Amino acid sequence: MQASAHLPIEEHTLDNGLRVVLQPDSTLPLVAINLWYHVGSKNERPGRTGLAHLFEHMLFQGSGHVGTNDHFRYVQQVGGVANGSTWYDRTNYYETLPANQMELGLWLEADRMGYLLPALDESKLDKQREVVMNERRQRVDNQPYGRAMERIHELLYPPSHPYHWPVIGYMEDIAAATLEEVEEFFRTHYVPDNAVLSMVGDIQPVEALAAIERYFGEFSRGGDLIRVTAEPVELSAERREILRDDVQLARIYLAFPVPAFGEPEWYAADLLSTVLAGGKSSPLYADLVYTRELAQDVAAFVLPLEIGSTFMVVATVKPDIEPQEVEKIIHEHLEASADGPPQEELERARNQLLTAHYDGLQAVEQRADLLSLYTTYFSDPSRLDKEMESYEKLTSEDLARFGRTRLRPDNRVSLHVVPKE
Amino acid sequence: MIDRSTPPEPGPPRRVKFPAFNRSRLSNGLEIYAAPIRRSPLVQLELISRAGGGQQDPHARAGLATLTAGLLDEGTRDSSALELATRVEKLGGYLASGADWDVAHVSTGMLSKHLQDGLQLLAEVATLANFPPAEVARLRRQRQAELQRRLAQPASLASIALLRLIYGTTPYGFSLLGTTQTVASISRDDILEFHRCHYGPADAVLIAVGDFDLPQIRELAEAALSGWNGATRVGALDLSPTSRSEPTIEIVDRPDAVQTELRLGHEGPPRNSADYAPLLVLNSLLGGKFTSRINLNLRERHGLTYGAHSTFAERLGPGPFVVSTAVATETVDRAVTEIRGELERIREEPVSQTELDETKGYLLGVFPYSLQRLDGISSRLSDLAVYSLPDDYHTVLHDEISQVDTRLLGEVARKYLHPDRLAIVAVGPATELVGQLRPLGSTTVRTVLEVESDLPPSALPIGGRK
Repeated sequence: MQASAHLPIEEHTLDNGLRVVLQPDSTLPLVAINLWYHVGSKNERPGRTGLAHLFEHMLFQGSGHVGTNDHFRYVQQVGGVANGSTWYDRTNYYETLPANQMELGLWLEADRMGYLLPALDESKLDKQREVVMNERRQRVDNQPYGRAMERIHELLYPPSHPYHWPVIGYMEDIAAATLEEVEEFFRTHYVPDNAVLSMVGDIQPVEALAAIERYFGEFSRGGDLIRVTAEPVELSAERREILRDDVQLARIYLAFPVPAFGEPEWYAADLLSTVLAGGKSSPLYADLVYTRELAQDVAAFVLPLEIGSTFMVVATVKPDIEPQEVEKIIHEHLEASADGPPQEELERARNQLLTAHYDGLQAVEQRADLLSLYTTYFSDPSRLDKEMESYEKLTSEDLARFGRTRLRPDNRVSLHVVPKE
Repeated sequence: MIDRSTPPEPGPPRRVKFPAFNRSRLSNGLEIYAAPIRRSPLVQLELISRAGGGQQDPHARAGLATLTAGLLDEGTRDSSALELATRVEKLGGYLASGADWDVAHVSTGMLSKHLQDGLQLLAEVATLANFPPAEVARLRRQRQAELQRRLAQPASLASIALLRLIYGTTPYGFSLLGTTQTVASISRDDILEFHRCHYGPADAVLIAVGDFDLPQIRELAEAALSGWNGATRVGALDLSPTSRSEPTIEIVDRPDAVQTELRLGHEGPPRNSADYAPLLVLNSLLGGKFTSRINLNLRERHGLTYGAHSTFAERLGPGPFVVSTAVATETVDRAVTEIRGELERIREEPVSQTELDETKGYLLGVFPYSLQRLDGISSRLSDLAVYSLPDDYHTVLHDEISQVDTRLLGEVARKYLHPDRLAIVAVGPATELVGQLRPLGSTTVRTVLEVESDLPPSALPIGGRK
């Protein structure tokens, strides 16, 4: 059996600094092309939030040789699938195409890296501003619990910290973005030496690299980029808040600042969240949803953030149950984690993460995205295959130590979203 | 320097066939579709039964099919709900059950080295589910809370209200989850009876995909499942919708909403319609993808929404055709007018050859994309079984899509799209919506609670509502 998990990976860097990662896989005649630009909402400033995401929309509005609505048209008419997304630390753009259309994808991505500015104008920006404001209404303001994550990060990170504001931005900031700011954002961040290009699929690496060189080789490096940093966040007293919203069932959000994605402690956080609430048989889920029937659902997870991360437990409270009662039980489980989970719980969680790992590698576009991720954050795409080792190394005592030092009562935010009166 | 002025020429295409699969029966008659896919060390198993929502009596028992299916993995003769969950999760796998309109399913997935355990779990749930009274009561309470939670979800409210407008009190007029009243009235005996009538090897199919070989899966499936017996009595309910000759508009009042959720639709054809291929092309061109007319119009031309799309639901009976979007409240009448306009245009004006070719290019080209993951392959095999399609169906469909021309597209547009008698639902602040929508057709207002508890519109005047 040829496991797609362990196919060889090639790395190259063009003279202009563009990093290229290739993974040939001829299972199906497909190619996934995936570009990560190392810029996200963390590169914005207060008063101008949402710019990175609004900008992502502008990259689908045509470029020097591609008409306004033609990016999706070119991709879809050959059976391709394309999209992009913005996160705190990065913005990605990707398409999966029939393999014989590889050059089409490179042509499109190169055109918007090299020739975006001639195609930008005020009317396109105005229209996408409207689209994004509607997106914010649909995903945040008109969505039950839609404001919760935004509020959690406002409470957890100080106003000067780049994770304080939401990726999509505040409505008034989205409205205020100017064409000049958008252009400046492009010139600063959308340069080859701030990007990673990964391709996975039915490709010949020599040919693929030559094509990449043809399409991207002529672009110039950017100026010196300043990487955004911030002091690690640690709270010294619990922060509590109640948010009244148009919801029927109350929901509890507990959030703790924890070390950055990729740190050993981050993997401890990920493994512990799976131990606590991964599946119906996990202690927190079984206790709250099955045994005591106090919650409709409960989940625990840690965000993959670059300069410090967020560990969360979220539970939806059953009708006629006091949120405080549920929160108290969650705290008991978190405190118990300071003793270290039993071996069989640890094994269960590791098996779940291993199965999820293989599951996530099935599609070429997910693999290409992970290769871009490991290259952008750690300059090491081979971490894709080594990821599971980070969990294998952890012991029950490591998780216990993480629980004791990070999941402290004075190091957390507690937000209750409750029905309006 | 390369010439960037036009897109590069493609290389020679490589045609893809649907993966080879084998169809056989166990000694008790249970049919198996098995596709060995050995790309990664995973297996996925799914047991489907003719026990979907289309099989339940709608009036008193809406929600019965999903409640029955949901209880399958909540307790058997030999194991409690948590024991079942512990067994599968210990292996890193999952076990889930549920029902759609056509079938109920139990599915499980895990590393392939645990295939035997997976089949045994599936078999235990299929043959020994015993619906413990405490679990029935627990799942009923869970379902009631879910129905309550949904009251705050504008998208769910809009869909429920639209289905009621289109289908009245026929089966498709109800939510699959039922209503608070029906869920409260469903007894354990109802569930046992529904289970006895609709679950059994003669009316079920096992779909297996992943890292195994055929002799292995047959041997393990025979060992695990051949003891399952019991005759089903699957009947057919009348699924025909109520008829309507003019537009009907309903506002579901959410006084503080900052946006309005919009649905427009009417009944469509069953999945087995002879026009399935041209309908796929029609919907893809009209509203099935990002570059479809409706999205380009509402989002890219007018900036009215984050997205707008259309679907023909695929069901054994005549499922709905629905256009969905969410727009700023002050632009609802514009959005409705634009969507209606697109439905009229595609009926009246021939589509260009270029637009047709681009749409067919998408549908034909995207096929291998859907074959990357085990769940994608499993779902296509499941369609073959549920809709009684031939083994070479994916080749047949490829040819049928290729043959759709502009004339046929116009014909199916006129036959299956009815902009003159759309049901329209707007979930948002009624005080701002009534004035916009009344000029477009007969308009009623319901409260959120009236929708969920399935009451008719109250007679309250608009002004007195807030």
